[in-house]
Amino acid sequence: METIIELKNVTFDYFSGGQPVRALENVSLAIGKGEYLALIGANGSGKSTLARHLNALLLPTAGEVRVDGFLTTQEEHTWEIRRRVGMVFQNPDNQIVATTVEEDVAFGLENLGVETGQIIKRVKKALALVGLQSFRNHAPHLLSGGQKQRLAIAGVLAMLPRCLVLDEPTAMLDPRGSQEVLETIRRMNRQEGITVVHITHYLDEIMEADRILVMHQGKIVLSGLPAAIFAGETNLEQFGLETPTIPKLARLLRAGGLQIPAQVLSVEGLVNFLGEGPAPAKNETRPQQT
Amino acid sequence: MFLETKNLTHIYMPGTPFQVKALQNVTLSIKRGEFIGIIGETGSGKSTLVQHFNGLLKPSAGRVLFERQNIWQEGFNLQKLRSRVALLFQFPEHQLFEETVFKDVAFGPRNLGLSGAELKKRVFHSLQTVGLDYENYKERSPLNLSGGEKRRVALAGILAMQPEVIILDEPTAGMDPAGRRNLLAQIKKMHRDQKLTVILVTHSMEDASRLAEKLFVFARGKKVLQGTPAEVFNSAAVVKEIGLDLPPLTELLQKLKTGKHHHLRTDLFSIKDVGREILHHFKKD
Repeated sequence: METIIELKNVTFDYFSGGQPVRALENVSLAIGKGEYLALIGANGSGKSTLARHLNALLLPTAGEVRVDGFLTTQEEHTWEIRRRVGMVFQNPDNQIVATTVEEDVAFGLENLGVETGQIIKRVKKALALVGLQSFRNHAPHLLSGGQKQRLAIAGVLAMLPRCLVLDEPTAMLDPRGSQEVLETIRRMNRQEGITVVHITHYLDEIMEADRILVMHQGKIVLSGLPAAIFAGETNLEQFGLETPTIPKLARLLRAGGLQIPAQVLSVEGLVNFLGEGPAPAKNETRPQQT
Repeated sequence: MFLETKNLTHIYMPGTPFQVKALQNVTLSIKRGEFIGIIGETGSGKSTLVQHFNGLLKPSAGRVLFERQNIWQEGFNLQKLRSRVALLFQFPEHQLFEETVFKDVAFGPRNLGLSGAELKKRVFHSLQTVGLDYENYKERSPLNLSGGEKRRVALAGILAMQPEVIILDEPTAGMDPAGRRNLLAQIKKMHRDQKLTVILVTHSMEDASRLAEKLFVFARGKKVLQGTPAEVFNSAAVVKEIGLDLPPLTELLQKLKTGKHHHLRTDLFSIKDVGREILHHFKKD
């Protein structure tokens, strides 16, 4: 897979009360074009710090980050980088700037000096992509949480990014809102080919990710397919995480003598397996300890 | 009955174009020592409801009764009610304001007139209950704690008032998995050891099903379901229609049962119990 973002030996220190605190330690990572990458870890593990390096919101204390070949430390490339890598944060209310949905999406483009015809076209497409076209004249503050977060995504999409970085995009949403946002993210990835970096505390959201990275104390400690992370031998609890319910149940059933394959991570998967009897185990996947 | 509402209706901004009927004709009752789960989507009225339990909101119509007394009748001491029925808001860490953890937790009981050794004892026990070591935390600034620790300090501040009812509005929102697990375990322990009445407002069906003895499900300002978790989730169609998900274990058991496993129990909510039930059924097949 072609690489879109590359981190080489990235270390990041910040200062708290005059003392340097290491938030990232020697992190190296290549993110592939079109990949759906999930980033998990306890609070303070360095996930958000890492995410903020992906579009030059933070610059490494040591090491380097390249986006589409551009070094994030070269200031003249900052806008090229931010155009390619869009960020969506936890609280949708902090990301809304205009008085109508349409204007909110257009905001970034107007700032870049994109010509009007282009703006109209791009706003229309972005709103269609997140399913908000019928709300285009609504006031953003009257939208539901899920709609607001989709609006934030539309604002980023209008910039035609190659990569979408989402930092706990569902943390403040209820189940229905979360579902809307997750479906939007997956569609952007699958249909539009946009690279996704998805940070979350809700591990059942990322069962379909291409790759999961586990962070702990500023380092990537585990990396692999969902099946390898959740059905592997490594105990996630030691990193302040919790194995989601269904993989945990599957583990217990395995210990009880049922031969459940590692790929079974969802209710549907388990129903199919138990309903149809044992399927041949394949794709033995082990997580890489790094 | 301990805590009741009778035909409770609440309208925000009545008589304006923005009028919203947040609660409609809600009648429910809660017994002393129960663990109640209140579930529903955002905007279903659950937060509005619980703010009536300690008189923070006044009904537009209907009544709220505490120990059979109408809390809005003349002469009822609302101040006293609020020390017996405590409410922990969403994101309570925003309400920490003292310079040390001790002072923050001591704030409530000090206002109740406690001081000296007795005050210290209260703070000590409250911190212990939420799993924070007194000696280690008492002098620290609440501002320098992690999100999960802050939330536990806020909870300790409420426990220090020794309430009989504690209402928790989405207590784990935005927390990481370890923080969530810890906090919920502390709440469960408090309920068990101190016979506290706990009212948990959540949109996690999974948490509600594991912790609560009785659930009230809300949609668009109305109470649409009530009962034990097993009773409520038996109405799977209603739960889904109002935009909530069944807990994954319940969904699994129900799907297997409607397949060919008619004898499977569906009223189990812990991974251990569900695992045992499935092994029991599928290993002999």
